[in-house]
Amino acid sequence: MLDRGSAPGAGVDRGAPLVAVVGPPNSGKSTLFNHLTGLRQRVANYPGVTVERRCGTVNLPVGPVELIDLPGVHGLSPRSLDQMVTRDVLLGEFEGDRQPDAIVLVLDATRLKSHLMVAEPVLALGLPTLVVLTMADELNRRYGALRRSSLSEELGVEVALVNARDAATLQPVRAFLKALHTGGEEVRACPIVAVAEHPEGRGAGRALPMIDLFAERRQRARELGRSAGFQAPRPSRTNERLDALALHRFWGPVVFAGVVAVVFQSIFAWAVPLMDGTEAAIAASGNYLGSVLPESWFRSLLLDGVWAGVGSVMVFLPQILILFFFIAILEDSGYMARAAVIADRLMHRVGLQGKSFLPLLSAYACAVPAIMSARTVEDERDRIATIFVAPFMTCSARLPVYALLIAAFIPAQPILGPFFGTQAAVLIGLYVMGVVAAIVTAALLKRTLLRGRSAPFVMELPPYRLPTVRSILTRLLDRTKVFLRRAGKIILAVTVVLWVFTQFPRMPGGEAPPIGDSALGQAGQVIEPAIEPLGFDWRIGIGLVTSLAAREVIVGTLGTIYGVESDDEEAFELQAALQQDLDLGSAVALLVFFVFALQCMSTVAIMRRETGGWRWPALQFCYMLLLAYAGAWVANAIL
Amino acid sequence: MKRKPETAQKPADRMLADVPLEEEVVLVRIDVAGDDVEPLLERGIVPGCTLCPVRHAPVGGPTVYRVDGVLVALRRETASCLCVRSSLEAAGVLDSN
Repeated sequence: MLDRGSAPGAGVDRGAPLVAVVGPPNSGKSTLFNHLTGLRQRVANYPGVTVERRCGTVNLPVGPVELIDLPGVHGLSPRSLDQMVTRDVLLGEFEGDRQPDAIVLVLDATRLKSHLMVAEPVLALGLPTLVVLTMADELNRRYGALRRSSLSEELGVEVALVNARDAATLQPVRAFLKALHTGGEEVRACPIVAVAEHPEGRGAGRALPMIDLFAERRQRARELGRSAGFQAPRPSRTNERLDALALHRFWGPVVFAGVVAVVFQSIFAWAVPLMDGTEAAIAASGNYLGSVLPESWFRSLLLDGVWAGVGSVMVFLPQILILFFFIAILEDSGYMARAAVIADRLMHRVGLQGKSFLPLLSAYACAVPAIMSARTVEDERDRIATIFVAPFMTCSARLPVYALLIAAFIPAQPILGPFFGTQAAVLIGLYVMGVVAAIVTAALLKRTLLRGRSAPFVMELPPYRLPTVRSILTRLLDRTKVFLRRAGKIILAVTVVLWVFTQFPRMPGGEAPPIGDSALGQAGQVIEPAIEPLGFDWRIGIGLVTSLAAREVIVGTLGTIYGVESDDEEAFELQAALQQDLDLGSAVALLVFFVFALQCMSTVAIMRRETGGWRWPALQFCYMLLLAYAGAWVANAIL
Repeated sequence: MKRKPETAQKPADRMLADVPLEEEVVLVRIDVAGDDVEPLLERGIVPGCTLCPVRHAPVGGPTVYRVDGVLVALRRETASCLCVRSSLEAAGVLDSN
């Protein structure tokens, strides 16, 4: 056992050695991590920043080892959020985290020349390190070569050649982890701490101009490669053929549009049976509970509050999972980088960049993971602009609101035959409004608050690879956990509070009051003057207030307020009730309000964490509210 | 710097954006200010490295370059800040030094 592990003040010390898995993006880091830990993983956010931290346990016969999967980085300088977190974790400067006892540095053997540049600052930390070179089989197949032992000698640490998809080749990695318990000779730190003149280290001044520093680092990396007998593999023919298609003058954009179309089609059409199934399951379980439980306040809380509220959110799980399934395939296959290159021209024109494409696509499911994925946008101004406009993309939480109001107020009339009617046109119109608002906002930001020369767009195109089932399943499992946690905490809290407000003040006989006399109804009447110009009454007002927690909550709220249960058959009753309270103008106003307003506390919370303060989320909230109010007012006035 | 007549016909140093596909060049200078260069440097785009444009993205999008066996896409505006020289000439200069 290393004495480092039991150092005093080490923070959370569970006794097991802590090992950080570090490496450049697409080096096979996460595949290795998944292979070692299996499903014994936890996803959490670092306190204060929303860089996800994946931890997992490797159970060895000698005892457990804790692994922590850090974001893919090209270096340790604090120029991006990912690199900052990686550096702080490795230096043990992260609050609540102790310094790792050892590092597993994952590099791609086929891109060793480039990846060795990351090795220097990592090795200079002086922690016991194992260098894992992935894609060993591909290096051989493409006539590359490398002497493992020579590289190990040159670096002064153990080097393992693995094929992250073949568990048998991982033996040296397990041996290294085991040696952390038993104190084997594999556990070595790089002896050349002289290279610690790197700028990424704590408090190190930038003695050398940055360009010279990296030129020297590259030179050393090349010399290292040379003495280890590294021969770069021949370019992959398959890779070249795929790129010839993906970046083709004509077919490139066609493939791109096709991919986007399939993703959208899957979210909006193929997800429907699954969502209906989930809804039916929730309704059936609710009905069953209703028939079993005796009439009491608890039954009311459980069914009208928890089941209706949390259930209304659970319905989106299939849709979000389908979106993440595609995103995982696109990312793991390497196509996402090509998509970013194709999209860059267009995105650059509106003040964003190619890397904004993935976050904005994700935002069609949910702005929260979208804002988190924006950290791949390295340029800080572009990243802020991306996350600022992400909530304008029509997230799936808006869909139930759109569906309810469109069905209730827009008469179904064919426009282009049976396939395209007025209702679909309105739905598309709402999506387009969101996109236009995003474009205008991005352009506005880039001319005002985020003005400045943008940093160079450097997009690495990783080799194409076949995604593994394991990696995709792991990611979907991660997403499910994150989503359920959100649904479990926020939505549950809101629905319970809401339910309580509908129950008080009690009537003389101890009965629950009519909704208009309840605390909730009274609150609604207080805000009514503010929303009257939009054509909304207090009921909608209450819906708007509760939808601040999450947009879709308004449907459940209106259901509660109008005193109807929200299962399928009676959804028509909610529509009928709405038709009495709203006219076409105010219904469209409500739709427009939902296009623009930032009614999602999770988004606000994630914004605060991602931008490191309240400034941006506060601005975003007010800006979007203003836009929503103005838009709704105009809609109500002209219709 | 004086050039031999046959090489003097075209300017010795060009910008990367003007290099035709499949021509290998060596980076001599980066004309990007301040810390903005770091994303380039981290990927091995430093003076002395060899770059080869392999593909233009459609509709005036970025160009894909091969650097140290890695494919990297750069916008034209970035490539216009990278001063390069054909790898043959660069070898000659190194010899004469």
